[in-house]
Amino acid sequence: MTLRQTERPTVRRARPSWSDVALTVWGVLVFIFLFAPIAVIIVSSFNGGRLLVAWDGFSIAPFLAIVAKPAVQSAVLVSIQTGLIAAVFATLLGTLAGIAMARHPGKWVYWFLGLLLLVSVTPEIVDAVALLPWLVFLGQDLGLTVFGNGIVRLVVGHSLFAIAVVSYIVRARLVGMDAQLEEASGDLYAKPLTTFRRVTLPLAMPAVLAGFLLSFTLSLDNTVIAAFVQVSGTTPWPVYVFSALRSGLRPEIAAVSTLMLLLTLVALAAVALVLKRAGDSATQIARTLGGG
Amino acid sequence: MRRSPGFALAIPAWVWLALFFVAPVGMVVWFSFGYKPGIFGTHANDVLSLERYAEALSPTFFSTFQNTLWVGIAGTTLCLLIGMPVAYWMAVKVRPERRGILIALVLVPFWTNFLVRTIGWQVLLAPEGWVSTLLQAVGVTQGPLEILYTRTAVLIGVVYNYLPLMILPLFVAFDRVGGPLREASKDLGAGRWRTFFRVTLPLAGPGVVAGVLLVFIPLMGDYITATVLGGAKGNMVGQLVASQFQAAQNWALGSAMAVLLILVITATIAVGAAIVWLILLPIRRRNRLVLGDAPPPSDPPAAAERELQGVGA
Repeated sequence: MTLRQTERPTVRRARPSWSDVALTVWGVLVFIFLFAPIAVIIVSSFNGGRLLVAWDGFSIAPFLAIVAKPAVQSAVLVSIQTGLIAAVFATLLGTLAGIAMARHPGKWVYWFLGLLLLVSVTPEIVDAVALLPWLVFLGQDLGLTVFGNGIVRLVVGHSLFAIAVVSYIVRARLVGMDAQLEEASGDLYAKPLTTFRRVTLPLAMPAVLAGFLLSFTLSLDNTVIAAFVQVSGTTPWPVYVFSALRSGLRPEIAAVSTLMLLLTLVALAAVALVLKRAGDSATQIARTLGGG
Repeated sequence: MRRSPGFALAIPAWVWLALFFVAPVGMVVWFSFGYKPGIFGTHANDVLSLERYAEALSPTFFSTFQNTLWVGIAGTTLCLLIGMPVAYWMAVKVRPERRGILIALVLVPFWTNFLVRTIGWQVLLAPEGWVSTLLQAVGVTQGPLEILYTRTAVLIGVVYNYLPLMILPLFVAFDRVGGPLREASKDLGAGRWRTFFRVTLPLAGPGVVAGVLLVFIPLMGDYITATVLGGAKGNMVGQLVASQFQAAQNWALGSAMAVLLILVITATIAVGAAIVWLILLPIRRRNRLVLGDAPPPSDPPAAAERELQGVGA
């Protein structure tokens, strides 16, 4: 009995058991599943045909079509512009809130976390249908014309979830670090603002940067809220694609999607790099990029 | 810093979220008690009633709620069944230096545009699409694949779209359990299945719960997947809400549907939690470790066994 038990591990190491092989096969199959539609889109962006669905020979025409279509260009520009503004905004509010939660704990933190949780679990479609009449109310009934501006509306819609994400990430980072550095700075007669600028903020910086890039990506991705709050003239890219669904998808949509995918990949690689240089393990990066 | 009121830094976020989340959602709840006045009005609240809720649950719309719940439960279950082996494989079996690249490979689809990924499936599942061609070539099916714009296509789409949200928390949970505990379990004579079900899985429980919630909640509110892949047959509540606000211009009914959707999600989670709690009750009782309770002196092996089970729990 004892002998068999000690022998078993050596046998397993020499030859992988059937369950290990099955797990590996399953893992590889799932990764193929995960990448199948992305591969389809990338391949389709070199489709010479008129419709995305029907393959008609290799061509770079879809990429050239982008240049010829001002509507496509303006949609992408609106998306990037909105993404940057929404990301700056969400990072600012989220960082302040995250620092407050980590460094000034109290009963209020539970209420605030509860609110952030509500923001993140409310279905996007509910946010979307709620924001539409609300922005109309603010813009027309209260006369706040700024809420009639397409970019402002998109930024408002995209900032909600992003604020929650940034707050989580910044709080998680600072909670894991002792407040002693800030206390030492205070003992050395640094003014509160100086301590904040020279100690707290640099400590939180990797999380702030990661939060910024995640907010930007989230905003680029947002379709549902954007479809409801957008004003014609400032249609962001996903909404353009969404409305093109009805009239038939053309290959240049795949081409732009491929380019946007590259942009997202660069942003994600930057996040991973920032977190890795800040000393996070693979697991911690997975948690941060999984949305907290 | 210390002297300033603690939550002052969070005030901008409080105000912003109150103004653009609490207030609008509150307004939707308020609308849901109203009605649609005439053809041109969208909502009126001078007479308050629960009639919109009754209307939303009438047979016309009730089947969509049923359909959504079916897709939600089936989709979450499939994500768990597909994702758990992958997460376990990534956390335990794969060599540590390869883990980073695998996580990156899960994250790339997750952060790729949701709509674009779903369109990828539309292309794949089309009757003249790649999957159909492949299945016919292999001889699995005779005619073209008639799966697009059905509930099955929606199910494939949601499982695909939300699978990374299941794999990531499960991976983190399995990774936390760590090798030493598994080895200890095996040293104490448990086989690898017993080790998984008695040590690894119970310790990874919070990750399983997180994964299930992260998948189920957004899945129930899904709008894009059902619109792109579902057509008329694969309707979900998200589309119903959207159509009431856009095409039908009936904000009162749309609001009632939105509130009902949130209630259905909450109720399902509560029922699910109760069921899991009841199922685990006997297991918990059996595995309970009683400290400070002197074992009966006449029966030392039984006491040792009890302690062993306590460690395994």
